[in-house]
Amino acid sequence: MAPRAISRGITRRQALAAALATGVGVGAIRLIGGSMQQLATSRSATASGWISPLSSESARVMHLLRRTTLGYTPSQLEAALADGFNKTVDRLLESKPAEPPAFATADAPGGRFAIAQLQQWWLDHMLSTATPFAERMTLFWHGHFTTDYRKAANNTFVYWQNLTWRRMAMTDLRSMLLQVTTDPAMLRYLDLATSTGQNPNENYSRELMELFTMGAGNYTEDDVRESAKALAGWQLPPPDSVGTGNNNQRLPVYSSQKAGVFNPRRAYRGSVTYLGKTGPLDAEGVIDRILAQPSTATLIAGKVARQFVHGRPSDDYVARLGDAFRRSKYDVKALMHAVFTSPEFTADKSYRGLVKSPTEFMVGAARALGASSLSKVIASSGSGMGQSLFDPPDVNGWPNNESWISSNTVVARVNFVTAALGQVMGTLPPAEEAIHGQIDGVLSQQTASLLTGAADDRGRWFITLASPEFQLK
Amino acid sequence: MVHHPRLPGIPAQVGGHEERSRHQPAQAPRFPEGGTGLWRRRGGPRRRLRGRARRVRAGRVCGQKGGRQQRQRARDDPARRRQRRPAHPRATRRPGAARPAAQACRTDGLAGAAPERSVRPQPQPRRHQGSLGQGQGRHRPGRRLSNPTFSHFESIRIWETGDPTRRQVDGWLGRTLATSYDSNGHPLTGCACGATDAPGALRDLQATLTVIQNQKTFGFTGGTEVEAAVGALYKATPGIYGALFDTAIATATETMATLRTSASTYHPMADYTDQVKLVYSSKNQLAAALQLAAELIVTGTGVKLLHVTLGGFDTHYTELNRHDDLMGYLDSAVSAFYKDLAAHNMADKVLIATWSEFGRRPKENASGGTDHGAAAPLLLIGDPVNGGLYGAEPSLTSLDNTGNLKYSVDFRSVYQEILSGHLGADAPKILGSSFDRIPFLKAPVVV
Repeated sequence: MAPRAISRGITRRQALAAALATGVGVGAIRLIGGSMQQLATSRSATASGWISPLSSESARVMHLLRRTTLGYTPSQLEAALADGFNKTVDRLLESKPAEPPAFATADAPGGRFAIAQLQQWWLDHMLSTATPFAERMTLFWHGHFTTDYRKAANNTFVYWQNLTWRRMAMTDLRSMLLQVTTDPAMLRYLDLATSTGQNPNENYSRELMELFTMGAGNYTEDDVRESAKALAGWQLPPPDSVGTGNNNQRLPVYSSQKAGVFNPRRAYRGSVTYLGKTGPLDAEGVIDRILAQPSTATLIAGKVARQFVHGRPSDDYVARLGDAFRRSKYDVKALMHAVFTSPEFTADKSYRGLVKSPTEFMVGAARALGASSLSKVIASSGSGMGQSLFDPPDVNGWPNNESWISSNTVVARVNFVTAALGQVMGTLPPAEEAIHGQIDGVLSQQTASLLTGAADDRGRWFITLASPEFQLK
Repeated sequence: MVHHPRLPGIPAQVGGHEERSRHQPAQAPRFPEGGTGLWRRRGGPRRRLRGRARRVRAGRVCGQKGGRQQRQRARDDPARRRQRRPAHPRATRRPGAARPAAQACRTDGLAGAAPERSVRPQPQPRRHQGSLGQGQGRHRPGRRLSNPTFSHFESIRIWETGDPTRRQVDGWLGRTLATSYDSNGHPLTGCACGATDAPGALRDLQATLTVIQNQKTFGFTGGTEVEAAVGALYKATPGIYGALFDTAIATATETMATLRTSASTYHPMADYTDQVKLVYSSKNQLAAALQLAAELIVTGTGVKLLHVTLGGFDTHYTELNRHDDLMGYLDSAVSAFYKDLAAHNMADKVLIATWSEFGRRPKENASGGTDHGAAAPLLLIGDPVNGGLYGAEPSLTSLDNTGNLKYSVDFRSVYQEILSGHLGADAPKILGSSFDRIPFLKAPVVV
């Protein structure tokens, strides 16, 4: 039976290529005042893009909040608008991260509790925290220093890792790398826990250089082998007591958070030749050598730029950010300050230049609705959209932007909006506020016409949250 | 044609038929001339055969068992004809394969050999069984490692990407979709049935892929009105991601329309049942997933690659019953699928291939199960397949230095044959290089 031919405009491949160019689309409209009036289209050369409102301070504040917090409530928006852009940047960067409440079953033997519980715990914190930027950065580092709960094989370690990542999120890179190297979940995930001087395991040493710091091409295979020797000797912390599992297995029980321990008997004795220098080296020495290379700052700055500014930042911009990062002795706060105060961040080109990751989208929708009890729905919807917390597809972390959009993920996002609206009982906040507060009132023709045609406020909320405008940041 | 030396237990020919030749030419060298070069030289000067002895080794002499005449007759022989039909479980089950009571032992009677005593159960012998090996673990350029990885998830990534060096992130089937199949016109070119998220083998940023867990629930909650509204909402979106949103929603709505049409025109001609009592895991919906796959194939939706999953084979304990049940379930589901396709006259266009991230260790552990191993069989089923055992018969006595089965066929050779022989795709481009050819397919069919 011959397959039915369906004619369609363009293929996915062509659409991806179009994202590289200026994009295909009709002009957008802009709301003025409170009413939805259509302006004349084709106002300028960027008629095929969104009409950027970033010339106004309030739009810049909303743009900043969209990208740095996982969504905001109307009251948080008001407070930020009162502060203004610069003061908001300072406030976001300087607030100490609010610690989440302790996770109840962290001392289960062997860490054997369902990962969905941990996901809900983190999502509850994201929905109610007073310092959402800390959560955004924790999510960023979670996707950079990746660990998969399946291989970590002890969800208590994964819980600890989340706490560690939050505490270290805005400190300097040197102390971060030390904490990452000795983190128990990471020790298991990249096999450093079983690496000894006699038999060094290269997995962690390779990924440390390739993915976490310098990037491929900036080191040789010999460097991988030598740093594997230097890093060997770290092992999991000894448990506080022993519990029993299902099949009468003996499982470790931890009553408080611990880091990995160094066992000198398992370490490598001797000198190594690493990144051009020879001598005896331990984990701190390895990290110092890595930070002495220029490529480290560039890689991390590039990643930050791609997640906070624009999908394809210019090399020059990344180099500038990298220099600022290096000059500040790898202080993450200084890097983020450089990013948010750079002209590229609030350039028209960056307006709606990124796609919200599933977590950001769902938490943002919940916060816009003022609903803080949606963590269960969010946790169960994540995998259909391609992002399940603590479960990255591989050690590269989650791919970005374009990969969040596919036929299945679009359906999943819309279905989430239906589910979320279904869960919020009673009266919803006015949709008009959301249209101006969340999506700046900058709408496409279709969104505007659907909004005018919507029957009630619930319908308008649905259109707002399901619209492509809300998927972008 | 892959040649193998006359080591005991190794069939003379690969493909064609299963009968082993016992002919031992005088002074046979211990390694093949040409061939795969996988066998190590045992010592002694290399001897060259000449004349008839050489032709005998190559199996080209008339009257020789395994010679061309023999193969010809095998094809015509009615007694053998039964074996040339695609897999039906009862045709291959050996009545004498009863397991001795105390040992977890099953005969592999595939080639009529005497049952080997083993301490682990072997999979149900199937027609078209190939013997394959684990990919080579972390293989970095310039240095050859032979340590397979026994980690589920690293191993799955290797099989999904077809790259033991772990440099590739896209799945091999995803690359096939993106490069070989223009998805313009067929939203369902690649489909994962019965899954909740995209399987790694089909993942590629540029590939149009649909994941359908259940054809009845695939769609927008809220039905066709929501569908119409969302279709309008995402059309002609401005900005750099506008085109992506556009194609995504078009694919989604067309898939839903296609599913509605195919649901009304499809009538299953076989009995798919998921009501199977499995000792382990109740989440398996393989029969339902295969029924969806059959629906998509026979109603002409243009689907090319389908992916289904059956879990539960990680049998670290009480392997015997669990494995039996799983294989029985696999059997019944795949048989129903095949029967359905045959009744709709589509059986000659469909190749079914299985893969798993690793095999099991030969020696059983203390819990009546086995741990992660290296080599494992890979099953290829369907009308396009030339039946037989490809690769070496796994030896339970000659193990590698970690006590695991030795592999004889690179899994990428199988991928290569599937891509070039069945799908008509550019295998070296997709896999990155060329591998030894394993000719398990009949004449190339461009689907």
